[in-house]
Amino acid sequence: MPGSKQKKGAQAPFSSPEMRPHHSLKKKSRRFFFLLALFIPTFSVIGFLTIYPTIRGFILSFQNYTVFNIRRIRYIGLQNYERVLQSGDFGLILWNTFVWIFFSVLFQMLLGLGLALLMRKPFKGRGIYAGFVFYPWALSGFAIGLIWRWLFDGSFGIINDILIRLGIIERGISFFSDPVLAMVAVITVNIWYGFPFFAIMILAALQGIPQDVYESAWMDGANPINTFFKVTLPFIRPVLINTVLLRVIWVMNYPDIIYAMTRGGPAKATEILSVYMINIVFYENNNFSKASAVGVIIISILMVFTTFTYLVTNTKRMEL
Amino acid sequence: MRKTLLALVLLCVLFTSILFSNTTLRMIQVFASPERTKIIENIIEKFEALKPGVKIELISPPYETAVSKVNIMMSNEEPLDIVEVSDWLLSGLVSMGVLENLERYITRSEQAKYWVDGVVEAARTVNNTAYIMPNAIYVKTLFYRPDILEKYNILGAPRSMGEMMAICQYITNGRDQYGYSYRGIDPVNFMDLVLCSFFNDIDPACMYKTTSGKIIFEDPRALEGLKFYIELYHKASPKDSISWGFDEQVNAFVSGLTPILFQDPDTTALLNYLLTTGVYKTAPLPVGPGGKVYPTFGFGGWGIPSYSKNKDIAWEFIEFFNLPENAAYFCKEYGALPVDSRIYESDPYFGSAVFDGWAAMFDDPVTYQITAYPIDNELWGEWFRLQGDIQERLLMNRMTPERALQEFTNFWKDAGI
Repeated sequence: MPGSKQKKGAQAPFSSPEMRPHHSLKKKSRRFFFLLALFIPTFSVIGFLTIYPTIRGFILSFQNYTVFNIRRIRYIGLQNYERVLQSGDFGLILWNTFVWIFFSVLFQMLLGLGLALLMRKPFKGRGIYAGFVFYPWALSGFAIGLIWRWLFDGSFGIINDILIRLGIIERGISFFSDPVLAMVAVITVNIWYGFPFFAIMILAALQGIPQDVYESAWMDGANPINTFFKVTLPFIRPVLINTVLLRVIWVMNYPDIIYAMTRGGPAKATEILSVYMINIVFYENNNFSKASAVGVIIISILMVFTTFTYLVTNTKRMEL
Repeated sequence: MRKTLLALVLLCVLFTSILFSNTTLRMIQVFASPERTKIIENIIEKFEALKPGVKIELISPPYETAVSKVNIMMSNEEPLDIVEVSDWLLSGLVSMGVLENLERYITRSEQAKYWVDGVVEAARTVNNTAYIMPNAIYVKTLFYRPDILEKYNILGAPRSMGEMMAICQYITNGRDQYGYSYRGIDPVNFMDLVLCSFFNDIDPACMYKTTSGKIIFEDPRALEGLKFYIELYHKASPKDSISWGFDEQVNAFVSGLTPILFQDPDTTALLNYLLTTGVYKTAPLPVGPGGKVYPTFGFGGWGIPSYSKNKDIAWEFIEFFNLPENAAYFCKEYGALPVDSRIYESDPYFGSAVFDGWAAMFDDPVTYQITAYPIDNELWGEWFRLQGDIQERLLMNRMTPERALQEFTNFWKDAGI
């Protein structure tokens, strides 16, 4: 019955074997466009808030854009980079950035780890306690800087007052008049601010370790130190690495506390790259181009660091 | 049904006419604080009551970022009709070509006839053209605490820099009593005041040049002045004053930690609030070994963006703001010296003891010679930072005064003053 076949075929044209790929292609493309439509809002927001400013900043760094010559903007090649890199203070600023990141992240990690281990087992009031411990993370960095600036104040600060009353010191310490003490002060505040984040992340990782692994370790006679290094640490290692990476990126891009406390002083002793960038905008005729060059330098350093870290940690994982 | 429709149409017409008869002026201030904003809002309220249909929207960015905000808004020609322009902001905005020439308004204004000396020149600082209507003057003077000084049997304020150093050193115990309220952050006005007092031939048009055209930092007297200023920090000021800004300076003065302070008149409002009457006094700035001292004539005022579509109404508000009763209210509450001479005669507050320091200085323009910063120089913004950085290095003994002066000289030579 060819006629009836034809009729059937006419009624269901895509049922023929030749047509099936077309059908699935169309279905696939429809699915693709549907997924694309779902992604578009996200991509638009990311593109508008992140990608466009990054590209714009990159372009700006090769221009002479200041607020006062907004109508005479032109490309000036690498001049902004030369000015930044040849500045007599650039080496010091880079070193400050390293010190700021290294000690901030190291102590945030250690304290966060300690706190997470302490809070691992449930106890009465753990929720309230956790709320108190984690609340610095919810505060504005600039507000924190202003508060701690007064706490550390050499003449009226409560920290000096307590130390004097306890008989530890006789006269107030001028935290912000000494380059080392100023750096210690800003790093201390950053540690206080940032360690809850580590604690939250590590606590989540700790809660994911199966109890039977510990039981096996204890049955094998492992003591608490062995258990920590042989069981706990390997399990939380991926979280630890990713959290360190995230924090390094954030801390490097985090001028709030330093800007509020010292503005990079005394004598640039606490000036890190992101503070330097702000100071350029505020004190050099709103020179957004030179500031953008510093921004591109920050991004470059972070890209190198991130790639290097991932390579090293992946290699080690392979070796294991 | 027809009635409802008619009513709806009438409502729409009414609504549209209200919408279009209203004019909204956008105004931005640069010295914002909650108290100051309230004062300006009160004046705006009075103006709006007099001018139905005119609304003024006041923008008050945080003090630290206000200058950048104004620069960016003006350079992008964002809607603005009245802009507060400080002396340090003026040349930049004029060079951007975004400020309206106000000569046609000011020459017709009654108020300009009563301006105190120096205000006309201030208004015409750039290109000899008035781009702003000044609303307040800021000149530094000496604030002191007689109650603290009397504890050490010191009566009255120091009259010379030498005397000030002696008093400050004498009362400093290095623990809870110091002499001088040092300014560590943004020290430009403070360092220059002391340093220039060692000269007797500063150019009235430029603080960094002598009348013979030499850059002051090349002169040996600058070295003496700078060493004196560093000594004032080491021997008579709290160590942490290296990081002090306005708040810390005033806080130390109010608490009595440092009973001697150089500051602008806007400090009076704060001190009047924090201290009881008579607890603090003002006196002329101490003169230096040259027998003179060189305060600068700071000012702020209202300008109109050249691209504003409401220039005439904006000007009406500016004139209203500067009416003697409004200007007196603003200057008294905020703490500034009025530009209108009639206010000094009519309002007893401006003749009170609080203003003794300024009155004495203005009465003797030879000893207290007003001078000006090279604020129209393109590198002024960078200078502000350089001087701050170098001061910190000097105070921390990381740079010699000789080297600092060499850096200052090179900077201004390159800047071409």
